Amino acid sequence: MVNAVEMRNIRKYFSSSNVLASDNVSFSVRQGEIHALVGENGAGKTTLMNILYGLIAPDAGEIAINGKPARINHPDDAIALGIGMVHQHFKLVPSFTIAENIMLGIEPNRAGFIDGRDEAEAVRKLGAEFGLPVNPTLRANEISVGMQQRVEILKTLQRNAQILILDEPTAVLTPQEVRELYGVIRKLAASGRTIILITHKLLEVKDVAERVSIMRRGQMIGTYNVADVTIKQMADLMVGREVILQVDKTPAQPGEVMLRAENLLVAGAGGMPAVFGVSLEVRAGEILGIAGVNGNGQTELVEALAGLRPVDVGTIELAGHDITHEPVRARRTRGMAHIPEDRLIMGLNLKTNLDENVVVTHYFHPPYSTRSRFHFPAVRQLAQRIINAFQVRSARVGEAINTLSGGNLQKIVLGRELDGSPQVIIANQPTRGLDVGSIEFVHRTLVAERDKGAAILLVSVELDEIMALSDRVAVMFEGRIMGTLSGPELTVQNVGILMAGGMLHETAPLPQAI
Amino acid sequence: MTTFRRSLENLFIPFSAIVLGLIASSIFVLMANTNPIDAYQRLFCEGFGPRGCETFGNLLFIGVSDGQGGTQTVFAPTYGEGGHRLAIVLERATPLILTALSATVAFQAGMFSIGMDGQFVLGAIVAVFLGYWLPDQIYLIAGVEGYDAAPQAMRTIMHLIVPLIAMSAAMAVGAFYSWIAGYLKVKLNVNELISTIILNAIAVQLVGYLVNFPLRSDFNNIARTRRIDDSAWLIPFNRGIFADIEWFSGARVGVGLLIAIGAAIGVWYFLWRTTMGYEQRMARGSSLFARFGGIPSGKAALRAMLISGALSGIAGAIAILGVERRVVDGFALSGTGFEGVLVAILAKESVLGILLFAPFFAGLQQGATNLQFGNLPRQLGGIIIAFIILFSAMEQYLRKRLADVSELRRARQRKLSTEVPT
Repeated sequence: MVNAVEMRNIRKYFSSSNVLASDNVSFSVRQGEIHALVGENGAGKTTLMNILYGLIAPDAGEIAINGKPARINHPDDAIALGIGMVHQHFKLVPSFTIAENIMLGIEPNRAGFIDGRDEAEAVRKLGAEFGLPVNPTLRANEISVGMQQRVEILKTLQRNAQILILDEPTAVLTPQEVRELYGVIRKLAASGRTIILITHKLLEVKDVAERVSIMRRGQMIGTYNVADVTIKQMADLMVGREVILQVDKTPAQPGEVMLRAENLLVAGAGGMPAVFGVSLEVRAGEILGIAGVNGNGQTELVEALAGLRPVDVGTIELAGHDITHEPVRARRTRGMAHIPEDRLIMGLNLKTNLDENVVVTHYFHPPYSTRSRFHFPAVRQLAQRIINAFQVRSARVGEAINTLSGGNLQKIVLGRELDGSPQVIIANQPTRGLDVGSIEFVHRTLVAERDKGAAILLVSVELDEIMALSDRVAVMFEGRIMGTLSGPELTVQNVGILMAGGMLHETAPLPQAI
Repeated sequence: MTTFRRSLENLFIPFSAIVLGLIASSIFVLMANTNPIDAYQRLFCEGFGPRGCETFGNLLFIGVSDGQGGTQTVFAPTYGEGGHRLAIVLERATPLILTALSATVAFQAGMFSIGMDGQFVLGAIVAVFLGYWLPDQIYLIAGVEGYDAAPQAMRTIMHLIVPLIAMSAAMAVGAFYSWIAGYLKVKLNVNELISTIILNAIAVQLVGYLVNFPLRSDFNNIARTRRIDDSAWLIPFNRGIFADIEWFSGARVGVGLLIAIGAAIGVWYFLWRTTMGYEQRMARGSSLFARFGGIPSGKAALRAMLISGALSGIAGAIAILGVERRVVDGFALSGTGFEGVLVAILAKESVLGILLFAPFFAGLQQGATNLQFGNLPRQLGGIIIAFIILFSAMEQYLRKRLADVSELRRARQRKLSTEVPT
């Protein structure tokens, strides 16, 4: 049988960042298979697929689609060859309806006039045909992330895509949406389409893919049948060394209550309450995990605790001080650190250099400045200290950071937030979008901080991460804490029941109040 | 090496923008049936050359009669017989430097304020009023007839304090006017671009009214205010410290230029060396990041607007106290504030860039104003400047071209090195 995609000896060198992103890579995908392409951040997966989709021109190498040599200089060429790509960051027009987004550029028209009803009808039919129902008249900014992704997939199908490239499709989805996506992927493959799945979640590879190709630092390590390799083996191949998937940690030695929230009522983006009467306590030397499906009030809770969102009702105490209405800086001065969910927008300023990024939480006091005058040697020392302590490869004091990989950027955030031994650490999705090696690093760092006596609030939608790190777990559902589990009660099953909004009362004793 | 290459690259962008701008403008020169090369020679000679400049080469070297019938070649930029045009360029560049710095401070806080025009004319009218009213009061109290009757010691003291008070008042008024737009933005989220446009219109009309009615001094055809008292005058170099240097003799450039250069150094220091400058730059680069780090962004933005307004205000004061000495009807429409915005954009908001581009801009304007060549209109200078700004906005594209070229060269070198037998 002919391979759907055949890429031979692809080479791509980025002179601007001096990176050989693709080093004689050969990659082939059979027709009708689900093929996972895995690798750490910066391994060259996305570069390879951007070359296939005509977004990047390779320096050398050949591409054949369905056995025929192809020249792909532009996404239009790729679309004409039946290749579709769903990017990690969706590219929908927010104010357009679903139908308008799908038909953008290929609108059915009568003598140049577009008929909105025609469009909607065509999109409805398309959705029904592939078992991906959508409401074509909703606007793109009104629908959930999972639905947006569905629209992106339909967009490629409308253009007759036979080969679909999905770039990290599950990074933004809830577990429920992930399951639905798996169904869609399987259905598309069953209809003879070829799916290329870029990911670094190995569990996902095990769940849906038939074959897997592993990349590391611009090189293709190999292609395997998924059934033949274990997750551990894949992780080792990706990182190039032994990976410890289990986090080593001793039982917690909880001390005094460092962070206490009582009866918090916090409004969300639209003014509607997103957090309803949440109470929690985090003690020194323990990690309290907040589990829950994305979008159940975790972001609002974290922002309220960190001082970025006003608290409507309730109190927040840090080491016994009422900080409910204190500004961000006062909280940080009292020893609060915050690892934000979005490191690219909130955690870092990519337009400036490393020094100015690491000094943002400390710039206003000695030794970094006196009476508004900067002391640059001290700032540079801080930057160097963070580079050394967190082994931020390829970062240089005083240099721009926008070329660094996601893992290295997160190391800079961690380094800045953990410098000066904070008493309370709020970590919101600290490993989102990171590769296996970086996740391991972040986990070890957090446990080490706990052992040094910090009180850590860990918010994550990855249940594995919550289970691996937390000493106690509080589960959020629709803005409420459904229960707090610890000890023998703390099982994946129990957390799962609470995450879905269920109660443990019938099956287990009442969880201990906190 | 990399920093050297980067600075070369940074120079390449404006240089190619200038060349491309001149090429594009030649369409209009050709439409006027004129040879572009001749027109540009004339333009640059009128703008930057000493008197009697004929060719591009004359901008650097010029033949001068040596008094014994022969000629000798001298370095043109230092040849000052009868006053050098570059001195006039500096005179015109002085307020431009200040308004460009004013725009830069606002832009670097993420405030796209173009209120420089309004702040400039208000600064000017305040300076002219204090420039004659304040000395009047002093003479009245001291019981002296006027400047000529005042004793030398009194004159010296007044030469120091009157301009200082006038400039400080102009700065305060400019700062307040700019603060209005800043407050509207920070507290009520009113778009600062729109509010500064409106505030400019109000200021221009207000100054027009003041010049025509309350402050009108005589029945001259064109309405004008009184001339400032001699004690308020920022005495130009050619009457003061450099009276003997002929290079300065044709221009009214003076202490104002030194103030502008001092302000440039101050702005650079503020933006890049103080925590306040850091705060406003971070708030601009990423507002969420600033909030996350606990930076008081609103305060930083208001502070930037105050400084920006003060700089435009003092620019207006210097234009009056150093050069014009009175406000004539129509002065408010001169557009010096908006030209400052253009210089700031052209200089990519770099202080050093402003110090280079403000004189360049002023020189082109001067050259175009003096240009009497074929059918060419005075507006040619404006057209060229507009094209240069357009091309410098294509920075991304030019940078990519440059990167392509250097990559090609490197690839060729790699090929060569592999062909060499080892």
